[in-house]
Amino acid sequence: MHIAVLAKVVPDYEVPASDFELTDGRAHSRYKRMIGLYDENAIETAVQLKEKNGATLTIISYGSTNDIAVLRKAIAMGGDALYLVMGDSDDPYVIAANLKMAIEKLGDVDLVLAGQQSADMDRGLVHGLLAGMLDTPFISQVSHINADSDQWTVSQIHEDGTRELSFTGKAVLSITSIPENVPRIPVVRAIFAAKKKPVEKIEGIAAEPMTVEQKSVEIPTVESVCEFLPLDDIAETSKILLSKLREERYL
Amino acid sequence: MKTLIIEVVDAKRIGELVTVARIFGDTPDILALGADQIPGTFGKAYFTDDTVPANLIDGAAKLIQQEGYELVLLSATTVGTEIAGPLSVRLGAPVLTEVIEASADKTVTRPIYGGKAVATFSLSQTPAILTIRRKYFEPATAEGTTTAEALAAETAPVTLVSEKATEVKGIPLEDAEVIISGGRGLGAEENFTMIREIADLLKAGVGASRGAVDEGWADPSMQIGQTGNIVAPSVYFAVGISGASQHLAGIANAKCVVAVNKDEDANIFKRARFGIVEDYKKVIPTLIQALKEE
Repeated sequence: MHIAVLAKVVPDYEVPASDFELTDGRAHSRYKRMIGLYDENAIETAVQLKEKNGATLTIISYGSTNDIAVLRKAIAMGGDALYLVMGDSDDPYVIAANLKMAIEKLGDVDLVLAGQQSADMDRGLVHGLLAGMLDTPFISQVSHINADSDQWTVSQIHEDGTRELSFTGKAVLSITSIPENVPRIPVVRAIFAAKKKPVEKIEGIAAEPMTVEQKSVEIPTVESVCEFLPLDDIAETSKILLSKLREERYL
Repeated sequence: MKTLIIEVVDAKRIGELVTVARIFGDTPDILALGADQIPGTFGKAYFTDDTVPANLIDGAAKLIQQEGYELVLLSATTVGTEIAGPLSVRLGAPVLTEVIEASADKTVTRPIYGGKAVATFSLSQTPAILTIRRKYFEPATAEGTTTAEALAAETAPVTLVSEKATEVKGIPLEDAEVIISGGRGLGAEENFTMIREIADLLKAGVGASRGAVDEGWADPSMQIGQTGNIVAPSVYFAVGISGASQHLAGIANAKCVVAVNKDEDANIFKRARFGIVEDYKKVIPTLIQALKEE
């Protein structure tokens, strides 16, 4: 079994809105870089699948060589190798085409996992495009995966409940976060071992970008209007709050 | 723009997409998942028995090409996400997800960086695909019912083994005028009891931050935020929630936010209308008492 996990290195997604700055329509380069929020859940899910069934786990990323240091964490969590496709496009079609090329180059990938959406462009799109390009099924918001010979059974969490779905052959799955796939913190030994694991850099390919024109990127102005309620007598504070909510017809 | 809506049979979700279609100047047709009786009046309506998005891509792509649809509208939900990407590749159509604003001049806006910035795009090529974030467009009222014709089945690579609807305790978040959410600051699962008690008194829905869900204190169906439920209540109580931008993206349309957090620097206060900088364990019991006394 060969599992590939797509991981994207993104600017620190915990930077609060008040400190957020743009340069040329993208997050300022001064922010720390990290693996995307849900991509770490996908890596954890894949590591657990590997531990249960035995598998090779390759981390695939599209980005720059500077990302390698950040992506070592994915290897330390349990990945066997890192496959970095070098490129700087943030067009979803270009990224998906490059990831497809990497997966085909690896040749024997059985299952592709990715976080349900990146933590920069927030599109939740590249994995679906990749599935379309690979002509394999795409299932989103997957929480659990079970392998039984050539059949996969997965649980999906959607807006109205849960589903259990099955398929044979390859597929692309987007992974959601659940308590069971909270990313593990790599131990020191694993961090050192990760430095010795193989990193393959491959040149990205030119691909046709999506035909939409980005007109502008702006930071919305949010006026802070918080009225802090007095704390001298909390029972009184609660009464004041309810009365204000009613006065302003919110309740 | 000749428009096709693809959606599960849910009057509110369909209504929101009809509103967007009207902004672009069209009375849309619809492809509905799972049932042939569709709320609202549509010129052409199709349905599939199969509700697994992966099994619908080929059929939907053929329909769009045959009928010459210029715009495909989906909700930014699990179903919409599963259809948008693969369908885009089949049609060679651009796709923009999580749209929160649309204009007649074919420009659309979507948030990026967890809502810390917004990007505006111009649609120049057809067909184009949009997924629309829930609760940003007032749903059009559904007049009557349309009986849909069955869409020819294509291959079905994915099998639906079983399905379970979430059991909602109390008021569903979708319809709640008041929502009370707990975050990691609650400290333990049992402390949600306090949240449920005040929710009962206020006839409120109970939500949770991603942190509380990750801790296993709340069901994933309760998660509010960019990747959970998008809600638009009249009052949103954030209890022990720090206010990460991904959480705030889920409450952008709440009319009034009340934040209870002992950390005065918590980001949630930047979004709040009323703030109480105090341990929620002191505040919530007094709120419960005040409500009981009324």
